[in-house]
Amino acid sequence: MLRRHFLFTTAGAALALSGAFTAPVSAADQELNIFWAEWDPANYLQELVNDFTKESGIKVTVSTTPWSDFQTKTFAELNAKGDSYDLIVGDSQWLGVGSEQGHWVDLTDFFTKHDLKNKFLPATISGYAEYPAGSNKFWAIPLEGDVNGWAYRKDWFEDPKEMTAFKAKYGYDLGVPKDQKQLRDIAEFFNRPDQKRYGVALYTDNSYDAMAMGVEQTIFTSGGSLGDYASYKVDGVVNSKESVAGLQAYHDLFKFTPPGWNKAFFAENNQAITEGLAAMSMNFFAFFPALANPKTNPHAAATGFFANPPGVGGAKFAALGGQGVSVVSYSKKQDLAMKFLEWFVKDETQKKWANLGGYTCSKAVLTSPEFLKATPYNQAFYDSMSIVRDFWATPEYAELLDQLNKRIYPFVISDKGTAQEVLDSVVKDWTATFNKYNRYKK
Amino acid sequence: MAMVRPARHAAFNRAAISAVLVLTVVFLSPIYWIVSTSFKARAVATSVPPTVIFKPEVTPYIKLFTKRVQLTTDVNKETYDAAPWWEKLVYDGGERILKVGDSPQLSPYPSRFENSLIIAITSTVLAVGLGTFTAYGFSRFKMKGEDDMLFFILSTRMLPPVVVAIPMFLMYRAVGLTDTHIGLIIMYVAFNLSFSVWLMKGFMDEIPKEYEEAALVDGYTRLQAFFKIVLPEAATGIAATAVFCFITAWNEYAFALMLTSRNAQTAPPFIPAQVGSGLIDWTTIAAGSVLFLLPVALFTFLLRNHLLRGVTFGAIRK
Amino acid sequence: MSTLSTQPPAPPRRTANRGISDLALRNLFIIPTVAFLIVFNIFPLIYSLGYSFTDFAANQNRPWQFVGIQNYRELLADEQIWTNFVITAKYVIVSVAGQMLVGFGLAMLLNRAFAFKGLVTTLLMLPMMMSAAVVGLFWQLLYSPSWGPINYIVGLGDFGLLSDADTALYAVAITDIWMWSPFVMLLSLAGLSAVPKHLYEAAAIDRASGWYTFTRITLPLVSPLLLIALIFRTMEAFKTFDLAYVLSVQPTTELISIKLYRLAFQQWDTGRSCALAYIVLIMVLAITNIYVKYLNKVKER
Repeated sequence: MLRRHFLFTTAGAALALSGAFTAPVSAADQELNIFWAEWDPANYLQELVNDFTKESGIKVTVSTTPWSDFQTKTFAELNAKGDSYDLIVGDSQWLGVGSEQGHWVDLTDFFTKHDLKNKFLPATISGYAEYPAGSNKFWAIPLEGDVNGWAYRKDWFEDPKEMTAFKAKYGYDLGVPKDQKQLRDIAEFFNRPDQKRYGVALYTDNSYDAMAMGVEQTIFTSGGSLGDYASYKVDGVVNSKESVAGLQAYHDLFKFTPPGWNKAFFAENNQAITEGLAAMSMNFFAFFPALANPKTNPHAAATGFFANPPGVGGAKFAALGGQGVSVVSYSKKQDLAMKFLEWFVKDETQKKWANLGGYTCSKAVLTSPEFLKATPYNQAFYDSMSIVRDFWATPEYAELLDQLNKRIYPFVISDKGTAQEVLDSVVKDWTATFNKYNRYKK
Repeated sequence: MAMVRPARHAAFNRAAISAVLVLTVVFLSPIYWIVSTSFKARAVATSVPPTVIFKPEVTPYIKLFTKRVQLTTDVNKETYDAAPWWEKLVYDGGERILKVGDSPQLSPYPSRFENSLIIAITSTVLAVGLGTFTAYGFSRFKMKGEDDMLFFILSTRMLPPVVVAIPMFLMYRAVGLTDTHIGLIIMYVAFNLSFSVWLMKGFMDEIPKEYEEAALVDGYTRLQAFFKIVLPEAATGIAATAVFCFITAWNEYAFALMLTSRNAQTAPPFIPAQVGSGLIDWTTIAAGSVLFLLPVALFTFLLRNHLLRGVTFGAIRK
Repeated sequence: MSTLSTQPPAPPRRTANRGISDLALRNLFIIPTVAFLIVFNIFPLIYSLGYSFTDFAANQNRPWQFVGIQNYRELLADEQIWTNFVITAKYVIVSVAGQMLVGFGLAMLLNRAFAFKGLVTTLLMLPMMMSAAVVGLFWQLLYSPSWGPINYIVGLGDFGLLSDADTALYAVAITDIWMWSPFVMLLSLAGLSAVPKHLYEAAAIDRASGWYTFTRITLPLVSPLLLIALIFRTMEAFKTFDLAYVLSVQPTTELISIKLYRLAFQQWDTGRSCALAYIVLIMVLAITNIYVKYLNKVKER
């Protein structure tokens, strides 16, 4: 309580200075504020909610901030119990913090009432809404489904000369890779620095979760794991033979990236395709519209898309992106927010959302033939969405992420250490963190 | 500097001036790249290899002022033909402008720009004003522990912003200063005040005490002497200080991001955020940066003569 | 400049009232500023100091505990932190030295009369008028080995100056030098233009060499201003955050302020980040103190 007392003394002093200027802003009562990162889906959402305003008279504003600051700004706001935003479209990893710290409103009753468990794709329920896993408690409505996929240069792949050369070198036909081994071979095959052509574009930015998403995906597909999310067991799991092979695979793929590829995320990876730099590029589906349009991608007609191929052992996984929308518990307009959610989960709204360019998680829409044919990548999106797997969602995920980044980055980029050493260190860091949060005490 | 023989001197002068011009070109080339990017088509901005000669277009500036989304396919011909010229340009870039009813939706840029103007100008006036008074106080009246006091004032500028960010945030939240103009203004005054005091103190020390003493003898009060005699003499220093404070307040990023969200957010956090779906829109970022550079460049240019004479910090003895 | 000394305009009639006393005036002029700085700088600072002895985490609701000097002890024993300090020191030295050299060099060249001098000076100042985040973003574009112009102009081929772990810090420093040399230039220019002309004339009459004139007349007279530029640039370089964070995410460019940011806003280890902030603050204070002492000595000469 000392803390609080301190705050008020300070507050008192400053209040005298500022009292005159902080007249309450009224006329904002019938207004909702949704917070999201700055990208196209947020603009689609703004367009979508204009309809809601027409119907209900409630004005809805989608406020955005750059991705790089999204997490910091959200938590600065939530930790101060701020009510600037009524709804936040938050990352899947935030469910743990959001629910345990009381930032998000419990939406379990809302889920039951609208039978949402059967309405949305199961993977999106566990990815964006439920916490802890299997608890049947829900904290968000799946809003923007997203998953890691691949774009590739069809024209390079289908060039007869390349096909013959490839067959001669590797003994099988060049085509969309059927497993991770083929993905590596193809990357190696097309990597020709003298022609300014490279094999593959990967995520390497370590300022948030970009690189971790790429790495976890190869770890999962080689049969490895980031730990048991229920029991917090990491030793022998994160540094298992399979996980080590997965990290090694990512490290080996990095050799076939364009020069200077060490702070790359979605923008760079899309540019790798639009500028004709890479044969294949990893990216989230939400960023593929730019690759389908000839105005933004000169190679649009020759760009194909595929879901992350399985590992040699057959494990099929893709890293989960995307976000669910949660009601902020400090908002003074929770009733309006609930009204908005009721409107949002309606079938017509979900359909309209998909038409505008949003990635609905509604089963009915996703399985409809018109959706699957609407873009060159929707089929691959649907395929990927059923094999998603995510990073940790515990409240301490940010620390885990930071520790992982610190260990894997020097290994993948600058070849420091070995995959085994790296993952052993990660196990050590993570165990310490889990101990700090008393995760092993029962 | 050698002034030995006039002929050699003139040649040296010419060489120095040519060197300055060459260096100016080198220094300005990154800025040229930003300005030229603001007239490029989105794809041209990141072509491999980079494009130097291109057909300029104003599309980035139209995009800067509107809310847009990526198109996956071209719009149909009727829609395109019916669109005004500026909307056509956006269509040509593979995007469409969001509409509310029939009118295009504006981007937050104009309002952010306005916030920047309000906040930077007000905070500059306050920081320079307070700084001038305080500097005069320190310059003219002897005080115990004066040097320590001055060092304390300077030290407030040494805080890494992260040190104060969290407490500041909590404090602002408690008193309702987050996302208000006044909140950011206070922040920037606090930030610039130490610089302003130090600069003005140097300048005040330069103004001979005899000026005021003569005025006092003539019946002025101290305060009158300050306003009528000292201030006009200090105009040059005030101008120089104002330029520095304005530049800092105009460009501040971290606190603007942390302490504001909608009502009072300034332009710096907004400008780098221009990403379309999956491609950084360098051209729109460039357009935003160029327009944002204009006011501060103009301000500096207008005060350029004061700037040179003003920044002496009293370090040079007569 | 000196027309006012004897003839103040329109002197008011003498009255017994001399206005408020000098002491009151001094307080009136100084106290608001000091009070303002205390409220908005010192309060948060005390607040952070308090946190630095706790395990408080701003993103958790759990009650915090007083941990004494544990945060400090662990930080000072952490090798990683020392690596960050070494990186920061390298960065500050390279970047500030570069700025002083380029800035002072430019000022020496500019210190003569020529057409459009005001315009050229203003143009040279453009880099420092931009926001560090924008500068960082664009230099990232400029440095790109694929679509940036620098590699094509300098002929670096595929070598990424910014992406190579060993050169990245220098790439960041180059950007900082570009951005802040104009600041040093401006201060030096002010100093140079204040050097009395008669000193040069006297030197010329004595047939003093260019080097002699420079080291004996120019440098001593400009040095106080150069020192001030040095103080401010060192302080700012030590705190560099936006620019470096936008430009590079390499471990080899993790300046202490980036480390601080990660600790505070990515790991939300508020208590420890406050402790680290204090360590940084004490270091900057110490360095600045040395500078200021030296500056006062130089001024007294």
